[in-house]
Parts: sequence; structure tokens; C-alpha cells
Amino acid sequence: MNTVEIDAVHPLMTEGPRLTVEPPATRYDKQGDLPDGERAARAVRQFVRDFGATAATWLESCIHCGQCAEACHYYVQTGEAKYTPVWKLEPFKQAYKREAGPFAPLYRALNLKRDVSAAELESWQELIYDSCTLCGRCSLICPMGIDLASLISQARHGMAKAGLVPHELWAVAERASVEGSPLGATPKVFRERCEWLADEHNVAIHVDLPEADILVSMSSIEIMKYPDSIVATARILNYLGTSWTFRTDGYEATNFGMLSGNADWQRESSLRLINAAVACKAKRLILPECGHAYGALRWQGANVYGQPLPFEVEHISEFLAREMQAGHLPVKPMPASVTFHDPCQISRRGGATQAPRVVLDKLGVDLHEMEMHGNLNWCCGGGGGVVTIHRADALRYKVFQLKMRQVEDTGASMLVSSCSNCRQTFDDGQAHFHWDKTMHSLLELVADHLIEPAASKENAA
Amino acid sequence: MDMLAFARGPGLHWSLTILFVGVFWRLTGILLLRRSPDYSVARISGWWTGALRLIALRSWPRREFSATTSFPTLIGYLFHIGLAVIVFGLQQHILLIRSLTGLSWPNLPSGLVNLTAGVTAASMLALLIRRMTNPVLRLLSNFDDYFSWLVAFLPVATGMLAVAHLGARYETLLALHMLSAELLFVWFPFGKLMHASLIFLSRGTSGALLTRKGAAI
Amino acid sequence: MRETLDQSLRRQGVSRRAFLKYCTALASLMALPPGMAPAIAAALGKAMRPSVIWLSFQECTGCTESLTRSNAPTLEDLIFNSISLDYHETLQAASGTAAEAAREQAMKAFYGKYLLIVDGSVATGLQGAYSTVAGVTNLDELKKVAAGAAAVVAVGSCSSFGGLPMAHPNPTGAVAVSDIITDKPVINVPGCPPIPVVITGVLAHFLTYGTLPETDLHRRPKMFYGETIHDRCYRRPFYDQGKFAHTFDDEGARNGWCLYELGCKGPITYNSCATLKWNEGTSFPIESGHGCLGCSEPKFWDKGSFYQPLSGGTWTDSGTLLAAAAAGVAVGAGAAVLSRARQHHAQEEK
Repeated sequence: MNTVEIDAVHPLMTEGPRLTVEPPATRYDKQGDLPDGERAARAVRQFVRDFGATAATWLESCIHCGQCAEACHYYVQTGEAKYTPVWKLEPFKQAYKREAGPFAPLYRALNLKRDVSAAELESWQELIYDSCTLCGRCSLICPMGIDLASLISQARHGMAKAGLVPHELWAVAERASVEGSPLGATPKVFRERCEWLADEHNVAIHVDLPEADILVSMSSIEIMKYPDSIVATARILNYLGTSWTFRTDGYEATNFGMLSGNADWQRESSLRLINAAVACKAKRLILPECGHAYGALRWQGANVYGQPLPFEVEHISEFLAREMQAGHLPVKPMPASVTFHDPCQISRRGGATQAPRVVLDKLGVDLHEMEMHGNLNWCCGGGGGVVTIHRADALRYKVFQLKMRQVEDTGASMLVSSCSNCRQTFDDGQAHFHWDKTMHSLLELVADHLIEPAASKENAA
Repeated sequence: MDMLAFARGPGLHWSLTILFVGVFWRLTGILLLRRSPDYSVARISGWWTGALRLIALRSWPRREFSATTSFPTLIGYLFHIGLAVIVFGLQQHILLIRSLTGLSWPNLPSGLVNLTAGVTAASMLALLIRRMTNPVLRLLSNFDDYFSWLVAFLPVATGMLAVAHLGARYETLLALHMLSAELLFVWFPFGKLMHASLIFLSRGTSGALLTRKGAAI
Repeated sequence: MRETLDQSLRRQGVSRRAFLKYCTALASLMALPPGMAPAIAAALGKAMRPSVIWLSFQECTGCTESLTRSNAPTLEDLIFNSISLDYHETLQAASGTAAEAAREQAMKAFYGKYLLIVDGSVATGLQGAYSTVAGVTNLDELKKVAAGAAAVVAVGSCSSFGGLPMAHPNPTGAVAVSDIITDKPVINVPGCPPIPVVITGVLAHFLTYGTLPETDLHRRPKMFYGETIHDRCYRRPFYDQGKFAHTFDDEGARNGWCLYELGCKGPITYNSCATLKWNEGTSFPIESGHGCLGCSEPKFWDKGSFYQPLSGGTWTDSGTLLAAAAAGVAVGAGAAVLSRARQHHAQEEK
């Protein structure tokens, strides 16, 4: 498939508060035309490939206490038992017991657990994709300490092998495989946009330098929807006088292969970035304001690569926190009352919860934390690829109400986050509910409050 | 051979043998599965402190979750502590453990243990009722959940009957009590009762992996 | 005409008053209303001295000792003396062919009416050749004598349940009387030995009513074996409080605390020791500081050590458990290898 073909099959929806494909006239939530038996067999084979000692330890340990329901925004907002996180793993658990557990030979011999059927997997699609943002809040409530979010990610691998990914998520993931970017930010678009932004904002934006200390990546959501982030990034890096570059052979940080469960596509996307960083001899790869990109590269990148990465990986908020703490980025005080929305994959799942707070502290804002914040934050509802799925909108708005209530309760006037996917989910929610709160980018706030542009340094770079 | 002699001899022998085979079978079968190396750069080194921390921390729900989970947790604790008091506090049980392991310790007054048994049985019944009425638990529950409940409840119930000499001759009650405990030994490795040992593995695994990332545990 | 029991007692100088007192005590033992005492007295008084044949098989004579080694003559042994003991190898004066002739004569004279008392278990191995009297195996003799008996009383645990001779590995193929005699009423009066008054009580019941008393599932008279030693034990309150002697000479033992931990089988032993006691009501084993052995229960020899607490297993072998653990590891490793092989196989397919 090429760009022209994919534009015909999965036209992008570029208008509106969030980016995805156009609502399909006919949904194709089943990919390919495999017979049901083969579909289920492929899913199970992939499950089997994924079952290691870690997953086994977790899957063996569930005592069906149901507490995970209380941590899940989908259950809390709907009260529907089917949204209990561990229930979303039921076919996965069933396959584990039958295929890989210590008693699997007994389960098979006595047929104590049935083979997972395609119909079952199909009916679980909504639970594994539409109603799980992989936010990992349930992993913190489980009295057995089961990391449910990791397991649901693994379950998606089997779903992808079976061709049972929701239409839109498959479409954007496929586009990412074809074009290198899921939402139309092709290398050509990216290069042109950088050139245009450099002119427009009178800022040096390095693209395709053969060598640089820092390779910077971007999320296609930023490239297409929030291009100011590109400018902000450039201004800050120029201000610091660092050697940095964007690379058209590796700029896209989002990884819809990972979110859809297609491990091959995940690998493709990650390798583009890794190879680009290796090619320009970068010592550091900076990940943009994108949540899942952090998980994909910071924690899974080396494992996709098969060896330790020859460079450091950092989220932009971590980078800012470090530089601001070192006093390299003096900023004008910002007297606003602010509340910070933690991107799940960076805070709870990523371990960089404190970084944005350091930045906000340096900005001198009046921080009003939400009742559940930091590691315990409620997800915006758009993670895990959910924001792309049209049929999940109604449910997503339901869980977004929880977020709105939380934000309102802080009384803060300004809303900040460090994830463009959260940001577009907030934008979409804001539009839907005609809400008066707009989400802002932490990165852009820093760039906007830098003291003097330090033109001399910029020119030197 | 009468029922009591069976319970004290071959019943105990075989149930413990099955318990040991099963527990080691299950643990080995889990632990020897493939482990992929993690090449990412750890944010925090010393995985075992993370493992120990999560094992300890997850023993009580976080403050943020306490509103919804304190009650079931409390009832859960009540019956777990109750079982521990009964199993490790009653002289008759200590003597069984001594006959198997050579270890013994001072016993608790029988009256206290009997009272505990009452509270334990009541809290187990409460949890069963909750499991059968709460929509989430009803959806999740399978044969294992109910059967494991039963094999854990039977020794408590038959033990109370034996203490009270209710319903049958004492040797029959005692034999039924022992056999019910032996049923628990036999079922232990194959069902969710195994969480008694898996809880440490599972929490430890998450603690180590999440701490490595510096993520929330 | 044989004399009645009443006549026999009078002749031995027992007053009517003493006899009535005994009957009252007997009535209470048998859990009959006190008003029944005169009826018992009347029935007993009129009863002919029954002919009794006592056969001793694989036994130790402890049961006979129990009955005869009283410190002073009691009404029990007077009653016992009042029966017409036509054959008892230990007690009778006659010996050799004369003794056998006495038995043959009694059997012929009272065929169908005499009472057969047996102590000792019956050897069945080698067609019974392990134990013979006058060249006849116990097995044959029992069958022959039982054929003409009105009822059979198995005295002692050996004849009731097989006892020590039947204990593992039971080299003589010993069995209980009731295993051989199935067509006559058989009552068991187990104990090692049984309490003397329990034996005479059963005889008195037979004399009074002409039948054997009501029995439990082990054919024991309910009136004497209806409750456990534990239920009637004066140390029971200590059991209920969880106060136990840990050794035979510790503080608890001196305080008279419960002997459960020292292996007392009182909770599963049905007998009257705790109420009737021994040696004319002096004491019983637990009162003397030793746990009950459970001697009136079937197979009490084979129920593990007398000093193993009841709740302890009769089997402890850490070797087996180690082997079980090793086997578990092996099977688990096999399962893991199988799962890995399946993973490998899955790797090669789509």
C-alpha cells in the first residue's frame, strides 16, 4: 500500500479537535478475511509467544477480588462489571491456562479450559481496546500486585495477529507503517513544516544534520496540530546552545504499532528513531510531549533493539527539569494558578512524575494539585489509542467527565500537561462539553517564559 | 481402617504428598518459563528493595483507594488473621504441626480460639455473600473461587462442630475435620489458595519491574 | 434342680438388704429408673444359676485377673461365683481329660441355654493351628461350643476386636469372636482389661431379662460404653481452657492439667473408667497421671504411639515430602519445557 492508496482507504480527519481517520462508512473491525478458526489460532499462538515467567506469575496470582474495578475510570463512571480490568484479560487468561501454565497439559487433556474462539475475541475487542487506555491505575490497587496494564498490552498483540483491532486504530497504525507517521506527518510534510515554522518564527530549526549530540523527536499530533511545540523545542535547545537536530529518517515518536498490538510495526517505528540517533551519533534522544512514546522508547526501545541503546533517552519534561534545576533556563515568573494533568505513561508508568513539578516550581506557578494526582491521577481517557476510535467516543466522554470534575475541584485557572495526546483529548472533551478550560503544553510555557531570547547563542548554533 | 485412622495416617500422608508435589510443580512451572532480558537503562537500581517494598506496601490499600476497598480488605484480613489464630494458636493444631515438623510454641487459650473461629466463619460467610451478590465479583467468579471458599470453610465449620461435639460422635467429627483439612491440602496447589505463596512472587515481580523504571508501585 | 441365684447368695451369707442394694446400683448403672431395682432383684433372685462355659484363646489372662484380683470379696465376684462356671481353664480345679469331660457334660445338659464367655482372639492362620487346646484349634472349639450357646460374651479387647494378637502384622491371623460367630447374639465387653462391674453388669442383664443389653456400633453395651472418657473426665475443664501438661513431670502435670498433648485417647475412647473407676473406685489411669490408651476401642494397638497426641498424624516422614517436592520440581520443569517448546513452535508459524 502507498500513500495514495491509504488516503483512499483511510482518509484522515484533519478537521476537529482531535486527529484520527474519518469516521468510516463501514467499519472493518476485523482485518483480512481469515476463517474464524485461523483467526483464533493466530491470536492464541501470539499469546503463547508472549507468555513468559513474568506474565505467568501475574496470571496465576489473580484471586478474583474485583478491586481493580474500583481503580478503573470506565468502571467507576459506568458501574458496568464488564469494565473490571482483569475481566478484560479473560480470554488471555483462558489461553494461558490451556497453553502455557504449569497445569496446561492437564487443562488440555481434560479440556478444563476451552480453546479461545474467534467470537470470544471479537466480543472482547471493545474491552481490550475501546475501554482500556493502558493507564495502569489498576496495577496500583491490585492486592496481588498484578501489573494488569502490561498484560492488556500483551493481549493486544494476539488481537493484532488475529486481525481484530478496531478499525481506526488499525488504520492509523497501518498508515504509520506506510508513511512513517500515523496522522499524515510524512517526512516531506515534516520538513516543509519545519522550514515554514523557522521562517514564520524566526528561529533556527535544524533538520537532518549529519551529526548532533541530541536527536529530537516529535509526535505527529504536535506536527499536525500543535506545531508551536516544534518552535518551542527549537527555541529552548538553541537557547542552551546545544548541538541538536531533527532527522527526517527518524522524527516520529508516536508508536501506533505498539498501541494496536502489532509488534512488527512497533519495532519498525522504534527502529526508525533508534537508527536515526545512531546515524547522527546522538548521545541523547529527547522524546516529545507524548505519553506512550516514552514507554515505547525509554522502556521498550532497547528491548526492541536487542541490546542497550548507545544513547540516553529522555522525555522533554525530564530534560527541562534537569536544565532548569542547573539554572540553564532562566524563566520569567508566571503568577497563574495551575493544575497539572499527569500523562499516565510518563508519570505513573514511566517514573518521571516529579520532572514536570520541578519545571512548574521553577516557573513559579501557584500549583493546585488535583485530589488524585501524580502516580494516582485519573487518565484523560484518550490514551492507549482510544482517542482515535470513533465508536468509543460516548464512553470516552463519560470518563472525561471524571477528569473535568477533578480539574474543577482544584479551582485552578490554568490546565497544563506534558502529553500532546492528553492535550488533544482535552481539546476534544472541551469542545464536546463546551468547557471553559483549555489544556496547555508545559514545554510551550517554558519557551514562552524564557528570559531574553539569547540571540547570540542561537546564531552560534 | 476406620475413618479417623485413615485421616491421621494415609489421608494425611497422601494429602501432604499431593500438596508438596503440586506446590513445587506449579512454582517450578511458572518460574522456569522464558524470561526476556531487559536492556533498558534502569532509573533506580536494586530491584530487590522494590520487590520488598511492594510486598509490604500492597498489604493495605493506598489512601486514595481506601474509600472503596477498605471494607472488603478489612473483612479479608479478619478471616486471614482468624485462620492464622486458629491454625497456629490451638494446641491441637500446634501438636499436628509438631508431629510433622518438630516445631512447637505456646498455645492460646482454647476459648479465645473458639471465639476467633466464630468470627472467622462469619467473615467468610460475609465474603461469600458479597461474592454472590456484587456484580463485579459475580462476573469474575468461577468454580475455583467457590470451591476454594468451600475447602477453606469446611475445616473451620467441622472444627467448630468437633469442639462443640455437635452432630455426630466425636471421633467421626474429628475425622471429618481432619479430612476436610486434607481436602484443602490436596486442592491448595491447583486453585487460587495458592495465592498464599504466589502473592509474594507476584508483588515482588511488579515491585522489581516498576521500581526499575522508577514508576509508581 | 440347680439352686436359684437367691438361694446361692443366701447360702454364702449375703443379706437380702445387701442384695437389693446391689440391684439398685445395677439399675442405676444400666440407666434404669430406681423403681426397677425390685424387679431386677425378683428376676435375679428367681434366675437359675446359669451354666457358663468360659473359653480362653489367644489371651494374657488379664481379663480373668481383673475379675478375680479384688482386694476384698465384692458383690460382683459373688454374682460371678454364683454362676455355674462349668469350664474355665484357669479357675477350674479339674485338668486334662476331666476338664474337657466337664465341658462336654455341661454342653450336653444345657444345650441351647448356656452362656459362652470368651477371652482372647481366635487364630485363623494355618487353619487355626497357632493356638490349640487338647489338640483342638481355638477356631474349631469356638464354633463347636458356640453352636449350643444361648449367647456369647466376648470379654476383653482381644475377643471383642482381635486385640494385641491381631495388631500389625498379625502373624496368627487373629480375629475377633464376632468375626467367626455370626448366627448367635454376641456382645463385646472390651477393655484391656474390662472393668469388672461391666462384665457382671452384662451378666446381670442377661440373667434379669434373658437378653443381652442394647449395644452400640461396636456391639458394646451402651450403658457402659455410651460416653467417652473425655466427656466424663475430671480434667476436662483444663482441656476446654487449653491448659495442657507438656511432659509427665512439668508444672502442668503437677497441676493435674489435661494429658491430651501426652497422647491421651480419652476423646475417642468409649468406656466407663472415668465414672466407675478401678480398684473399687479408687482411681483410673488419667487420675494417676497417664493418658488413656484407648484400650476399649478397636485396633487401639495400631493407632500410632500411645504418646502421640490425637491430633498429630500417625505418619511423619520428611523423606517422602522431600521426594514429593523433588517430584514436583521435576514435573513443573517438564511442564515449563513443554510450554517453551510450544512457544518455539508458535514462533515459526504466523
